[in-house]
Amino acid sequence: MPSQPPLPPLLAPYLSSQPESSLTLISSILGATSNWLVLRLLYSALSTSTNQTFGLDEHDGSKKKVVLVSFLRGWEFWKVEAKRLGLDLARLADKKQFAFVDGLSELFSAPQSANAAPTTSSPTGIPPRTSLPLRGPPGPVPGRGPAIAPAISASTSSVARGPATSEPGIAKKLHFSGRGTAALDIMEKDIIAVIEQVKASGDSSEEVLLIIDQPDFLLAATGTSMGIGATEMSEWVTGLQLNVGATVLTLAADSPLIHNASVSGNQGATPVEGEHASFAIGLAHRARSVMQLRTLETGAARDVSGVLRISRGGGISSGADTLDEKELLYYIQRDGGVKVFGRGES
Amino acid sequence: MSFRKRNIGLSAGVDRAAVPNVSAQPAPIESTPGIRPSPDDGRPTTSTGTPSLDGLLAGHAGLPMGKILLIEENGTTDFAGALLRYYAAEGVVQEQKIHVVGVPEQWGRSLPGLIGTAESLEEKRSDKRKDERMKIAWRYERLGEFGAGIAGARDAPTSTGIPDAAAKQQNAFCHAFDLTKRLAHPSITNMSFIPLVPSRDSPFTSILKQLQSSIASAGPSTIHRIVIPSLLNPTMYPPSACQPQHVLQFLHSLKALMNAHAARITAMITVPLSLFPRSSGLIRWIELLSDGVIELCPFPHSADALATSGAATTQEEPPQGMLKTHRLPVLHERGGGSDQNIGQDWAFNLSRRRFEIKPFSLPPAEGDKEAQDAPASSGMPKKADLEF
Amino acid sequence: MAPVNLSHRRTHNLLLISKLLSLRDTASPLTLLLDSLEQPASPLIQEYIRRAKLSKVHVTLIAFETLKCPEGCDAFVSTRRKSPADIIKEVSAAYQPSPSTGPSKRRLIIIDAINPLLSSRGSDLSFHLPSFLGAFITPTNPAASKSDASLVVTYHQDVPGIPPQNPYLPSTFSILTYLATSIITLHSFSHILAQKAARDRSLVPPVFGLEEEQDGVLLGRLDKLGGTGATEGIVLELEHRRKSGRGVLEWYLLPPASRYPATQVKEIVTLLDDNILYNPPMESYGDDEEEPQSTFELGLTDRQRRDREGVVLPYFDAQHGDGPGEGGRILYDMGEEDDFDEEEDEI
Repeated sequence: MPSQPPLPPLLAPYLSSQPESSLTLISSILGATSNWLVLRLLYSALSTSTNQTFGLDEHDGSKKKVVLVSFLRGWEFWKVEAKRLGLDLARLADKKQFAFVDGLSELFSAPQSANAAPTTSSPTGIPPRTSLPLRGPPGPVPGRGPAIAPAISASTSSVARGPATSEPGIAKKLHFSGRGTAALDIMEKDIIAVIEQVKASGDSSEEVLLIIDQPDFLLAATGTSMGIGATEMSEWVTGLQLNVGATVLTLAADSPLIHNASVSGNQGATPVEGEHASFAIGLAHRARSVMQLRTLETGAARDVSGVLRISRGGGISSGADTLDEKELLYYIQRDGGVKVFGRGES
Repeated sequence: MSFRKRNIGLSAGVDRAAVPNVSAQPAPIESTPGIRPSPDDGRPTTSTGTPSLDGLLAGHAGLPMGKILLIEENGTTDFAGALLRYYAAEGVVQEQKIHVVGVPEQWGRSLPGLIGTAESLEEKRSDKRKDERMKIAWRYERLGEFGAGIAGARDAPTSTGIPDAAAKQQNAFCHAFDLTKRLAHPSITNMSFIPLVPSRDSPFTSILKQLQSSIASAGPSTIHRIVIPSLLNPTMYPPSACQPQHVLQFLHSLKALMNAHAARITAMITVPLSLFPRSSGLIRWIELLSDGVIELCPFPHSADALATSGAATTQEEPPQGMLKTHRLPVLHERGGGSDQNIGQDWAFNLSRRRFEIKPFSLPPAEGDKEAQDAPASSGMPKKADLEF
Repeated sequence: MAPVNLSHRRTHNLLLISKLLSLRDTASPLTLLLDSLEQPASPLIQEYIRRAKLSKVHVTLIAFETLKCPEGCDAFVSTRRKSPADIIKEVSAAYQPSPSTGPSKRRLIIIDAINPLLSSRGSDLSFHLPSFLGAFITPTNPAASKSDASLVVTYHQDVPGIPPQNPYLPSTFSILTYLATSIITLHSFSHILAQKAARDRSLVPPVFGLEEEQDGVLLGRLDKLGGTGATEGIVLELEHRRKSGRGVLEWYLLPPASRYPATQVKEIVTLLDDNILYNPPMESYGDDEEEPQSTFELGLTDRQRRDREGVVLPYFDAQHGDGPGEGGRILYDMGEEDDFDEEEDEI
């Protein structure tokens, strides 16, 4: 049981408001990863319970729909960690409130055969469900009703759609095939298809929040020799942005990936470093806000996990939109609870 | 349950219910030899073959299943290789399936020999110390003998041929090995060596295919260890291997494979840092793709003075290098930072029988006498000069 | 600097920036805005759009990174997956002055970030930056549109470019700065102040953001004084090439948009040197501050001072030349305060 509120009060205003067509960047480094922040973001967008949000009255339970694209972490991780916060992603996925796009499992290596498909991931005792009912009327499915009953009827039809969609909770598995923008286009189409599915279900007025976890990996692992550079990746992000309400990206901002190229003026930087710096800094120019995670400069401490700096990005429209810049410390407890506090406080 | 001290009362195999509050791991894992639930959150872990490395891994007292541990080493020494051999030997003894990438089969014949469980070695060591130290408490001397007797009875004989000893070792979580001996174990033939096949495309494609097929074809109860010694080392890998689209895609696919069979695989990779420095973007991506990152910084060989100075007491072996933890499995995936070991400086020491990691502390400066004397004679005015 | 010189400079250079920002007389066909994450160009672009609206200039935004048409833009050209030639075609199609609506309007064409275009690998090798930019300024069909267009191009200085295909060609950044008639480099006012404060103390000026080279830091900007409004604003470093060939270099301060109404016509940009925070006025020290402070009264009253001045010093008497041995005496008129003792003191 997390002893801390799932949404730290100091962070709540930053996590709950992503204006239409805005871009939020979360940067992380090796020793200060961003998963906890993404989970809080999911919680803030998907959770219906207001009593837990600790004096945050304006959080009136206005839910958003979320599509999470993750390149470095699997469905199991997100599901288990979200459950620690009291968020049942599998159920939300059944309700089409949430969709997970798997960019890890089969991105570069398609499964060899049908029997090579993983067998351990489906827990025994629960009938295999699908998250994609083919023709089920999406609107009147009651939220509190047993989700298994309609799912079973749909499972028979969905098996025929191929093994890629047969795993519960995973809306789509991305594949990278070919090279250059053509390969990116295929993935873009896949993700947009999932976005459209989520949009079409339930209350269609709810805007969709798109979270892409580490698209910079895709850039690093393909690179210019496969015809993908920072510009192409940025355009890919733009294409996805056009289809959703707000977008959140997580990126690595480790010194070797940013400063080798940006400070020395790209002299002697390898293509991986140059393209990454170009991609990350270019996105920061477009972003409304940049949330930067890093470790303490003074070395590790027992009660501080890292520093979170929230800055306005280059793309914030000065004027109506205001965003307070802030630097906060955070501490992640063994049980997964997060404490966020200012410097000098505890 | 989250504040339980690590390494307390964890007898191998039999563990109390560690209350896996959210763990979705299936139950039969617990009966598998060499796997025990983490005292931290109950997820299944396996031993790296080095007890002190197990203890370093963020309170899980072992390497959690489904995780990749990256060992980086500076300089031209091969301490990381020793860690890797312990890891592989532990897997052999636990009758897990070992996949070794890129090295010939001689590598498998150089695994260190089994000399018992890690606990027995630890007990023997502490008993030896007890014998030396407890002379003062003569009243308890008898008690000490009593304890030693127990340990002696529990101590497994060094020969592996005796079946009941082997059965006992089956239940142990971590074993002790001797680098000067050679491992002889029935399941050592079960290791598979995946050679690098020269190809026009990515040199990793065939490796990945073999890994995938052999893991898919093995039964669901088989536990696998993937051992990748000296990744990208130019004496083994073709130059094209260090293209990011090859090596990073391979590691990503490896991650995907381990994610798909999360309860059955662990992997350990070593990287030579003197060829691929940590300040390069490629290595940083390899680190970001790994679940745990540990860097070894050996001290220069010739420094005899240094070698003696690092030991806190004369009884302890001097450290041979520093060890840095940059990322720990599970802990950093959640955001990191709250480990009780964080902020410690670690030193390591490789002896014949163990690879030991312990907190690094500079001893009271013995070699610093000149430095203390020098200012007294030259810079600082003497006390007599000041008095008037 | 002589005050006359400063006021002269102020008049001239404020007129110049006013002309440039309001696009009068096409003083600068190609303006290059050099920005960084520490000071993005978006407030300046909004100022351009605001002034363009006031003077009824047609605004076209060529969007390489903007998603939506910002307020005040008349035409929005998305560049996603378009070739440079397509962009030129679309931009020229975006504004067709019809003869019926009277004289054609002037045009402002803004490129929100040129970096993606420069580092795009998909673009064919025949892409020629000077002719691409030139195509906007001089329309291909001179008969149709007499409209004079100004081009404002933003270049992010901190985004690393790609190494040139042809190593003998100058870098695209050099080409841009060579082509531009005026270059405006943007700085954050608070950073300028911090750096000046350090320089005044002969310290190493601090660096911010990416230049800190700290793990995990992309942006260093953190408005510690946020809310007070004291250090808000943008410093513009203008380098302008006149038609005569003469160059002008000046530093300006653009206040934040919230400080003035959107319809304000009067010039709001000031010289950086005129800012109180940047250039604090010399404090005039009072006379009393010249005296060393002490518990003793070291000052003189007026009368004492007069008496001191009345003393005739020895060399004065010696000049009379009354012969050797004469002169050099201290001539002193006895006052009532002097306690003269006939026996001891001898004149």
